[in-house]
Amino acid sequence: MAFNILVADDSETMRTVIKKTVEMSGVPIGEFHEAANGKEALAILESNWIDVILSDINMPEMGGMELLKAVSANEDLNRIPLIFITTESSDARMDEAKKLGVAGYVKKPFQPEIIKSILYDVLEKAYEHRMVDMPADENDDDDMDF
Amino acid sequence: MDESLRQVIFETFSDVFEKMFFTFLEPLSAVPASEQVGDAGKFILAEISYSGGNNGNFCFYFPWELAKNITINFLGVEDEDVKLSQIADTAAETANMAIGSLLGKLDPKGQSSLAIPKARELVDFAPVSLSADAETCMFNTEFGILYVKGRHE
Repeated sequence: MAFNILVADDSETMRTVIKKTVEMSGVPIGEFHEAANGKEALAILESNWIDVILSDINMPEMGGMELLKAVSANEDLNRIPLIFITTESSDARMDEAKKLGVAGYVKKPFQPEIIKSILYDVLEKAYEHRMVDMPADENDDDDMDF
Repeated sequence: MDESLRQVIFETFSDVFEKMFFTFLEPLSAVPASEQVGDAGKFILAEISYSGGNNGNFCFYFPWELAKNITINFLGVEDEDVKLSQIADTAAETANMAIGSLLGKLDPKGQSSLAIPKARELVDFAPVSLSADAETCMFNTEFGILYVKGRHE
């Protein structure tokens, strides 16, 4: 019942903070993969089973929007929910992301509780049968101090 | 830089620094007499620009101790374990979040695109020219003065 998670962000610092936040959220983690851009993320997706993608938008080589387009267009990958964690917060950009099928959106700077809440929502929608097995105390844990 | 832009910058940056790094910013209109701005010291410079609907660029000059403490708070690492690469990366991400949030207010239609932020160490840097520059915003922090020089068009 653990989830394999892929984080795509060109900032190693941000990947570390997101990983720590997800670990503290109580979501059971299987494998945790990291990519510095969309291109690296696609390479990981080609050879690993991933349950959810947390991605920045503004990345070198291949940005998050291009990654979302590639995932949505791929029959083997479009089952994977993608959540943007980004400073790019304009309505126009978010409308574009919604049209492409983004599953969730977290604006930087963020509170850990926001990531936890959106991650749970997205995982529940995508994998309801697996979330039922999660211990109740993990679902109810709201304390996420760094 | 006009006063209304300075106010938006202060409100936006304060939100980012408090939320992400537990660091409080106090806007300064002049350098306090106790500060030796002519003395060279170690700084981290983080730069970010944007283009499209609006054009602009901002340079963040973090005193070394401020950059280090932000990194320690953000990553939850010990003082003796923190690396220069982590400090530079955190400074770049700080600039990204601060200017991304600022653009959300200045360019709500999202016509501007942020470039990738860059950061580097300045070994012997004296902020004396910055403190007198009309395009510089200064913020007092527990770990020294943060200088932010920028333009928004």
